[in-house]
Amino acid sequence: MATELEVLEVIRSIARTELEMERPITPEDDLLRDLALDSLGLTVLAVGLENRFRVKLSEEDAAGVQTVGDLARHVAGRTGEAR
Amino acid sequence: MRPARLQGVPQPRPRHASLNEALERAAVSGRRGLTFVAADETETSLGWDAVRSRAAQVAGALASLGVLPGERVALVLPTGADFMDAFFGTLLAGAVPVPLYPPVRLGRLAEYHAATARMLQLSSAVALLSDARVGRLLGEAVRRAGPRLGLRTVAALRDSGATPLAHPADAGALALVQFSSGSTVDPKPVALSHQAVLAQTDALRALMPDDTPEDPQLGVSWLPLYHDMGLIGCLLSAMTYPGPLVLLGPEAFLGRPALWLRALSRHRGTMSVAPSFAFAVCARRVKDEEMEGADLSRWRLALNGAEQVSVDAARRFSERFARWGFRSEALMPVYGLAEAALALTFSPPRSPLRTVPVDSLELAREGRVRPGPRALASVGIPVPGVTVEVRDEAGAVVPEGVVGRIHARGPSIMEGYLGQPEATRAALDGGWLDTGDLGFVKDGELVVCGRVKDVVVLRGANHAPQEFEDALEGVKGVRTGCAVALGFVPLGGDGEELLLLVETTPDAGPDLVDRIRAAVAERTGVRPHAVQLLVPGTLPRTSSGKLRRSEALRRWTTGTLHPPARVNAIRLVGAMLRSALALARARPRPHPEPET
Repeated sequence: MATELEVLEVIRSIARTELEMERPITPEDDLLRDLALDSLGLTVLAVGLENRFRVKLSEEDAAGVQTVGDLARHVAGRTGEAR
Repeated sequence: MRPARLQGVPQPRPRHASLNEALERAAVSGRRGLTFVAADETETSLGWDAVRSRAAQVAGALASLGVLPGERVALVLPTGADFMDAFFGTLLAGAVPVPLYPPVRLGRLAEYHAATARMLQLSSAVALLSDARVGRLLGEAVRRAGPRLGLRTVAALRDSGATPLAHPADAGALALVQFSSGSTVDPKPVALSHQAVLAQTDALRALMPDDTPEDPQLGVSWLPLYHDMGLIGCLLSAMTYPGPLVLLGPEAFLGRPALWLRALSRHRGTMSVAPSFAFAVCARRVKDEEMEGADLSRWRLALNGAEQVSVDAARRFSERFARWGFRSEALMPVYGLAEAALALTFSPPRSPLRTVPVDSLELAREGRVRPGPRALASVGIPVPGVTVEVRDEAGAVVPEGVVGRIHARGPSIMEGYLGQPEATRAALDGGWLDTGDLGFVKDGELVVCGRVKDVVVLRGANHAPQEFEDALEGVKGVRTGCAVALGFVPLGGDGEELLLLVETTPDAGPDLVDRIRAAVAERTGVRPHAVQLLVPGTLPRTSSGKLRRSEALRRWTTGTLHPPARVNAIRLVGAMLRSALALARARPRPHPEPET
């Protein structure tokens, strides 16, 4: 089971290497407003997290996920379920 | 000077009367069919005979539900066997498939519901087919649009036990409807007949090398199947050929671009097509270790289209992957649009990338081609059966080397926009399609250099500019209704990007550009590349006050987007005279005088 902090680190690494973002990323950042992720960016992030943590993120997950922190919490929770 | 008219070789004799007939023949051909590659690179296959028998099962179920021949059936499905069952099942029921895009993970559901409901209404779909997973998210759109037979899962249709059905179809009947842009604003349902789709796949077939035992052809695609390039260019081309096709989902490619190249290597793929941005993404994101042992030397047709081709991105790709056997002559810029079923022109196979050096300022200002620092890719010559003309605003064919609107005629041009006679009349005139794109002919080949229609093409997807302009609603400091969204290709960039030209109010504040970027990104999912703030009245308008987007772009490009001069009687007369002259000459247009 992954911790939120571990997921946050992976989000940061995907943002840096795959999405080529230079800004620092905090849990409070809004995925759409602050990181300005478009549909391509969201897909890259979702698939990156899926591959790293062996979870499946669905379209429905969009509903509760607004910020980087929400996403980290959500993915961490999912890895808990899987075990 | 020769007139800018290009003619493809004659249309080959049609091989099939309908897609239904082509599927029947593929099923008994004994040729290899489809292979689906999952994100973990596990693979499943589905032969053409299985595609056909499963589709007949679904067709029987659709007919027993009450779907009538000619009625539209929408599908929202990821790339996979369910998509095939739904798409070909609808065809075998004699009905008309309308593939729509699935929701984006972690994406904006409110906009998605609205756009999907709108497309269901515009295509008058009687049912929506999906799977259990995606179907959970479609309830809202189905409630709003209210298709007669509601939402159905493909699995339920397949297992319904209905008698299999394989309805024949007429060549002239409607075969499918594809949306030219998938937004809430102004989506246009492009109606294509069986013969139009087949004319396109026949034309593509004529351009492809023949299959021989030593040299079997094999296509690989990650393109979405709700888009002409993936659906007609890859899936229906393979089905009518008939031959093998290896399919990956678009999200698998976006998540890990190397999967595309690895699939090409593993399957010894010879053909694959993608928008310009995909080549740029691979050059940047694929790591050496992901390519270990890969061999791209069999890939002979790397078609590059669906958006303005970036010469820089194409070259970066060629250089990066030469180590793994990629041959730069494989890269072929192509041009087309949903309204023409897919392709209008193809550059000659196995020849080096042909570019035309242009002075972009001169091109925008005078509409003439003079050598300069910017390289534009030639998109080649018309595909079989197609004629292309470049025309001026009065409709006359311009000479070679002069920019004008690209018009095209050919057997794969759409019937029209479904249920939209006015929009159809604006696009089609006497069999000629006004593409709304700007281009010129140089050395007997077409070069696309801009656009007059109000569309922004980002990563191969069309967007209505209103989508972005509406997102500025309520942003403090933006003059209401006084902004335009445009697509432009930055020098050295990967492809087309979003530009916003925005007139401001006095309470704009120093952070307005940031707030505009945030609002547009949040509401549309697209990050503007550039935002230019303007003094009120700067944007060009028609006499009735409508914003003139392409003229605004032309002025921005040429550095002539200036604030309005103070109005007085003499200036007004001068302006009227100039606009009368401009009408008479069409080009070059005079520029507004800068404020003195």
